[in-house]
Amino acid sequence: MGRARLFVLLDGVAAIGFAAGLAFGVDAVASGRGPLTLGLCLFAIILAGGLRGWLARAASEAGARAAAQAKAAARADLARSVFAGPRRPTGQAVTALVEGVEALDGHFARFLPARLSAAVLPLMMIAVAAIASPICAGILLATLMPFIAAMILAGTAAAAESRAQFLALERLSGLFLDRVRALPTVLAFQAEGTTTAALRRSASELAERTIRVLRVAFISSAALEFFAALSVALVAVYCGFNLLRLLPFPVPETLDLKRAFFVLALAPEIYAPMRRLAAAYHDRQAAEAASASLATFERPEEKPVATPLTQAPTIRFEGVTVRYPDADAPALDGFDLVAQAGTITALVGPSGAGKSSLLNLLLELAPLTGGKVLIDGAPPRAADIAWAGQSPLILPASIADNIALSRRDAPRADIEAAAKAVGLVLDRPGGLDFMLDERGSGLSGGERRRLSLARALLKPAPILLLDEPTANLDALAEERMLAAIRVAAKGRTTLIATHSEAVAALADQVIRL
Amino acid sequence: MTSPLDDLIRAQKRQRAGALRLAIASAVVVGAASTILLGLSGWFIVASAAAGLAGLAAAHAFNVLIPSAMIRLLAILRTAARYGERLSGHAAALRALAAIRPAVFESLAAAPPSQSLTLSRGEASARLVQDVDAIETRFVRLSAPWSAVAGLGSGLVMAALAGWLPALVILLAAGAAILIARAVARRFSTPARAAVQTRVGALKETTAALVAASAELRAYGLDAWAGETLNARAAQLDAARLAAARAQGLILMSQATLLGVAVAAAVVSAAPAGAPLAALAGLAAAMSVDALSGLAHAFDQDGAAREARDRLDTILRHRPQAIAPRPETPPSVTILGQTLRPGERLAVVGPSGCGKTSAVEALLGLRGQAALPRSTFAWLPQDAGLIAGTVRDNLRLAAPKATDAQLWDVLEAAALADRIRTAPQGLAAYLGDDGERLSGGERRRLALARAYLRDAPWLLLDEPTEGLDAATEMLVVDRLQERLDRTGQGLVLVSHRAAPTAVCGRRVEMGANAPNAKKLAIPAEA
Repeated sequence: MGRARLFVLLDGVAAIGFAAGLAFGVDAVASGRGPLTLGLCLFAIILAGGLRGWLARAASEAGARAAAQAKAAARADLARSVFAGPRRPTGQAVTALVEGVEALDGHFARFLPARLSAAVLPLMMIAVAAIASPICAGILLATLMPFIAAMILAGTAAAAESRAQFLALERLSGLFLDRVRALPTVLAFQAEGTTTAALRRSASELAERTIRVLRVAFISSAALEFFAALSVALVAVYCGFNLLRLLPFPVPETLDLKRAFFVLALAPEIYAPMRRLAAAYHDRQAAEAASASLATFERPEEKPVATPLTQAPTIRFEGVTVRYPDADAPALDGFDLVAQAGTITALVGPSGAGKSSLLNLLLELAPLTGGKVLIDGAPPRAADIAWAGQSPLILPASIADNIALSRRDAPRADIEAAAKAVGLVLDRPGGLDFMLDERGSGLSGGERRRLSLARALLKPAPILLLDEPTANLDALAEERMLAAIRVAAKGRTTLIATHSEAVAALADQVIRL
Repeated sequence: MTSPLDDLIRAQKRQRAGALRLAIASAVVVGAASTILLGLSGWFIVASAAAGLAGLAAAHAFNVLIPSAMIRLLAILRTAARYGERLSGHAAALRALAAIRPAVFESLAAAPPSQSLTLSRGEASARLVQDVDAIETRFVRLSAPWSAVAGLGSGLVMAALAGWLPALVILLAAGAAILIARAVARRFSTPARAAVQTRVGALKETTAALVAASAELRAYGLDAWAGETLNARAAQLDAARLAAARAQGLILMSQATLLGVAVAAAVVSAAPAGAPLAALAGLAAAMSVDALSGLAHAFDQDGAAREARDRLDTILRHRPQAIAPRPETPPSVTILGQTLRPGERLAVVGPSGCGKTSAVEALLGLRGQAALPRSTFAWLPQDAGLIAGTVRDNLRLAAPKATDAQLWDVLEAAALADRIRTAPQGLAAYLGDDGERLSGGERRRLALARAYLRDAPWLLLDEPTEGLDAATEMLVVDRLQERLDRTGQGLVLVSHRAAPTAVCGRRVEMGANAPNAKKLAIPAEA
């Protein structure tokens, strides 16, 4: 910030030099002084112009750097909350990580430097103007005050509206993206027309709303414009009458051309920083609105680094209750279970009975609203868990790299073994080096499930959680998978949520929910 | 080739002509009033000083009323005009964008599936959100050249009072300022702003992929890695932003330097005409060059808008086509070499990954060219394919005018009515993104109900009972059987489970290497 302050001060000095050069130059013409004086004055004008240009360029670059730094810090913080904190809907998290963080850009790149110059320069200019004409300085100060008041009023009125606006905008982008995701369904049901019409309605409602916000927001810039013009007009009229000696009231000062012209040339400069601030004000509002929604992301608690368990633990659920926010009924209510060390427990029950919630509890992805979950008497830790879920992560990378996500230093041989163990046999070009895209095009539902299981097998963790490991697999593949699960579960405490009786038959203990 | 986006923008400009004209007229007033206000003030002071020095009589003879009234009038005019310009310009732009965004979606839906269905969430958001935002400048900036011309023009007129030379000096300086701004913008801003646009898209894509995977990231201790991956992507974006800021700085620098030169040259060249006119010329020069800053800013923003236009044009090329009418008699359907007469029921079974789903999607024309119009089919996709909305929103995709009674009827048939009835908001219950407030089995049954609601001669059900317990599965299968007997609809059912395939009279087995499976799995793109 030190350099930014220097830039601002220098810019003020250059602006004063510019006005002085102009005033003395015009005076030199009026009083017929030699070409040397005029030449010096004009040289000062050119120099001041060049200096201001160079400063503007340096400030623009410094702003961009400061913004990049601030955003990187905010992004790192937010990423920790999103990836290690309580679960949030995907759309909200993505919007916060990209649009939310990028909304801070203008705040650091433009608003903060503008606020600094608005705080320093006007008063500095008025102080200098007071040397030339105290009464003009008084006029300038008097027009600055109501302007600041107007700006604060308009600013507070607009702030709440603008926050609501930001949220509405976020919802609208979410809506568009959702319909793109659901495009296959929209096409198959020939609902393109009705969907577009609905989107058009939402977009146009938002536009009307934004226009209402702008009506208020632009009042502050109109106030700025008015007082800027008024100050120039008052200064000009006062100076003119003073110079004519026709003022209807006595004043303690008699001006000459130099002084009067200097103040007049300086007057627009007093408002220029305020104008830049007003232009950057929506950057601040966008950043504030974004910060408010970023602040709703809770910071995860710092967890003490503990050595991972080396032996399969006993898992206990004691009177566990899970109730999702906005849910009608708890997903689980007063549930008890003991999974002995090194055994396989199958959780079987109708859809919606809370099987997945039980597994998610161990990863703190479901809210524990009552009771306790204990791993050998301690709270669960992600480090001890290997997990295969219902919709696995596919990164745009090779299949091998996708498997190795669970153990990033795994040797190739281990990756191949894991792939083989779950029957992920690939006749694609490149085999395990086959590149997947973000949508995982080219993998069937069953293959994704097996990829996810290969991942779980690769991580040497004493707890294995499997969420519907055999869904989408035919009888033969399920048979092979059961064998793989049997191998993988050896030496681990395993919980499997399943519909399949064949999987349940594998378990030491079957819990029917 | 004409650009479809330009056509859209032209149409919007015509529609918003009133507001845009008001913005331009206001901009002209702002530009002229700003220049004249300062120039006139300067002249007034210097002329007053001269008259004051000449003695009391001269001072009294000097007409103070007209100039001082003019100065006040200009101050008020400028204020009102600036407010009018900003509000009407932005309002027109926002309304235009609100019309353009859905048009982009409409074209996306009309694009061949190989293009529209492979668009990732990040790319979709880059097109529909950032790219459309970037063209906003094409509406807001419409008034910039007019404001510049008005400011420059009034500056020239005032300077001309001091002689032709000061006016020429100002014209030259202004010309140089515009040319330099344009050249710098083309050379540096355009590529930098274009890079910002593409890199925001790339960042978003990476973010979407990572967030969707947060469960696995957590289990495998990858949360810190995910943050680092994001920041590495973002560093590329910020490098582009820095380059754009540098380019903008260069433009500002050239403007400020030229302003100094123009003022000095105008004062010198106007000096022979006397101090008041020299003052007028100097201030007119300053305001004339200053009036160009809006235009220079517009040049600076053009790069992003141009890049966005190119990308949007590739989508907007596709225009929605009239929906083909449904054939009057139910057609026969051919899938996997089997031809089915209307009302027949076929079970497609086989190991996962052999292309069952692909075959169904090909039938629907979601892969390659469809043989039959989509109105022939009611589909239950493998991933349920719900939209973010209420139960009613989801069901009505299949029949926009369906009554609540019809909705309850199909929910009953899909064995989901009891579940929805116990939700406090019933049909109006909001389901969240991709129906995330429902369990996997419930989502599937909601999608099944939606397929039932569509009035089509063929049902295509892809794993309708996946994720259901045995009792619910029996209920769903019984009601399906009963429904088919009543409606006479044909059925293509993909499943690896025994219970649902029991309702089918015919059966086709797919092997992992069956030749017809391969043939259909590869999209035959036109």
